[in-house]
Amino acid sequence: MLARRMQPMALHARRLYVQLMFQVMGNALQAISEVDAEAQQEASALPVGFLFEMMVMPNGPNLIVEHLGDGRFRYHGSSAPRKVNLSIKFKHIAHAFLVLSFQEKTSVAFANDRMIVDGEISYAIRMTRVLNRLEAFILPRLVAQRAVKEYPSNLHLPEKILSASRIYLKVASQFVETARA
Amino acid sequence: MTNKYYEFFCPVKVVAGKAALEHIPFELNGLGAQRPMIITDKGVRAAGLLEPVITACEESELEIVSIYDDVPPDSSIAVVRDIAGIYRAEKCDSIIAVGGGSAIDTAKAVNILVSEGGDDIAAYSGAGIIKHPLKPFFVVPTTAGTGSEVTAVAVISDTEKSVKLPFTSSFLLPNAAIIDPRMTLTLPPHITAATAMDALTHATEAFTCIGKNPLSDAYATSAVKKISENLLSVMDNPKDADGRLELAQASTMAGIAFSNSMVGLVHALGHATGAICHLPHGLCMSLYLPYVLEYNLESIREPLGDLLLYLDGPEAYAATPANRRAEAAIAAIRRMRDALYKKCKLPRTLKETGQVEESQLEAIAALALDDGAIMFNPREARLEDAKAILKKAWA
Repeated sequence: MLARRMQPMALHARRLYVQLMFQVMGNALQAISEVDAEAQQEASALPVGFLFEMMVMPNGPNLIVEHLGDGRFRYHGSSAPRKVNLSIKFKHIAHAFLVLSFQEKTSVAFANDRMIVDGEISYAIRMTRVLNRLEAFILPRLVAQRAVKEYPSNLHLPEKILSASRIYLKVASQFVETARA
Repeated sequence: MTNKYYEFFCPVKVVAGKAALEHIPFELNGLGAQRPMIITDKGVRAAGLLEPVITACEESELEIVSIYDDVPPDSSIAVVRDIAGIYRAEKCDSIIAVGGGSAIDTAKAVNILVSEGGDDIAAYSGAGIIKHPLKPFFVVPTTAGTGSEVTAVAVISDTEKSVKLPFTSSFLLPNAAIIDPRMTLTLPPHITAATAMDALTHATEAFTCIGKNPLSDAYATSAVKKISENLLSVMDNPKDADGRLELAQASTMAGIAFSNSMVGLVHALGHATGAICHLPHGLCMSLYLPYVLEYNLESIREPLGDLLLYLDGPEAYAATPANRRAEAAIAAIRRMRDALYKKCKLPRTLKETGQVEESQLEAIAALALDDGAIMFNPREARLEDAKAILKKAWA
């Protein structure tokens, strides 16, 4: 009885978590593109004005990021200024939760058909590499190892702490700005 | 409970073995089709491979309404549009693709246009665009390697924009794949070797990459066994119909395996090499397979060790300590490549191809990193990794 009453709350909490994680990731993508040269190099191959979306099908939470040029991203929240160029779509909120709670690696989620790519596959591969890089920076190593296929061997603690601090600071200030607005 | 999950889908009816072609009229009739169009290429026609198909149909009073035999090796949207026009003008109601990867991909694209309407195949490019079943479609493969008869993808070139358009939909899968040993009896030795190595790579990557699942594993291991047991004997005796059938079935089984579990870095490097150096796909697979397996070794030790049983037989498997089986599996693949080099000069290194410059390796590595197959490789390959593999494969 109690379990049945709790279930809608758990599902609601899961949706809120996914929504929050998309906001964190969107802001963090913008932040990493401002602080990390490797992420910038990956992103710089994208066309200027390129709009990237991650979303939950059919109309679930999403994040929109635009490539401004030179590998820099701008997070647009959940609404795209025009038609997106690339969308990575989770088939269900449960699948998004598995990935965003680091229970399933992004690459494994692709292999498990948890999500589909709508757009140029080579750009999806690049964006996945940027996301992996981001996760390697901002997550503790033990958690990051669950999230990415291979933890970067050249990412050492001082660089990780420094970059993660800068990313978290930028994400926090973006959240404050959003709250003020 | 673990997070393990997989999907497996193959609705293609496989019609395989002696006199398989003679089943085409019955199978088409069962789908209500009476006016088939054959899509093929000049090489297939010149090799006399259309005659048994046509005769099989005519004997059952099924008229082949139209034959298009001018599919180029790298088919384009203009070719697809032209064939669709002929299909409509001749009032055809079904398609039989006879050939290798290009003819089959072209036929899949033609089937989209004649079923969904319009003349612009580019409008249907992408994943999941097609929402309805298409016209009755049969595939008669004439090579034993691509597995295209059981894959839900097609690639067509847009020559004006210089891009390759991918089409992905389960509706692209044919209603039936007709595997008849007569279709591969006349394959030249180097094509027999390269296409079989293509199938071996499909099966090996399906079995060792991150999308592997129990059902695709069953197809992959069986395919590896058939290839390792029959390839070299067919090379010695090309008219061995039973051996040819085994290789053709292996190709189909490997196709079913990899279309349900995907492939990895061998394919990423192979696609990039094909695009830059224009090497045949099967040859690229043969070139890179052992080097990529060595690179992935510590991530795939267990499944690769299991493959030794199918590559080298139960005696070799039993005689090899468990912790050495993965290396022994790579050694078995190397021995197979060496034997093929002796029998038909199938190159084992990029240098031996004579078609690749060392200066191109950097570009190949960079392009491979953007290939979709790299996502499913067990290791996260970076630019330096890809360059190191290419350097080993060079000479």
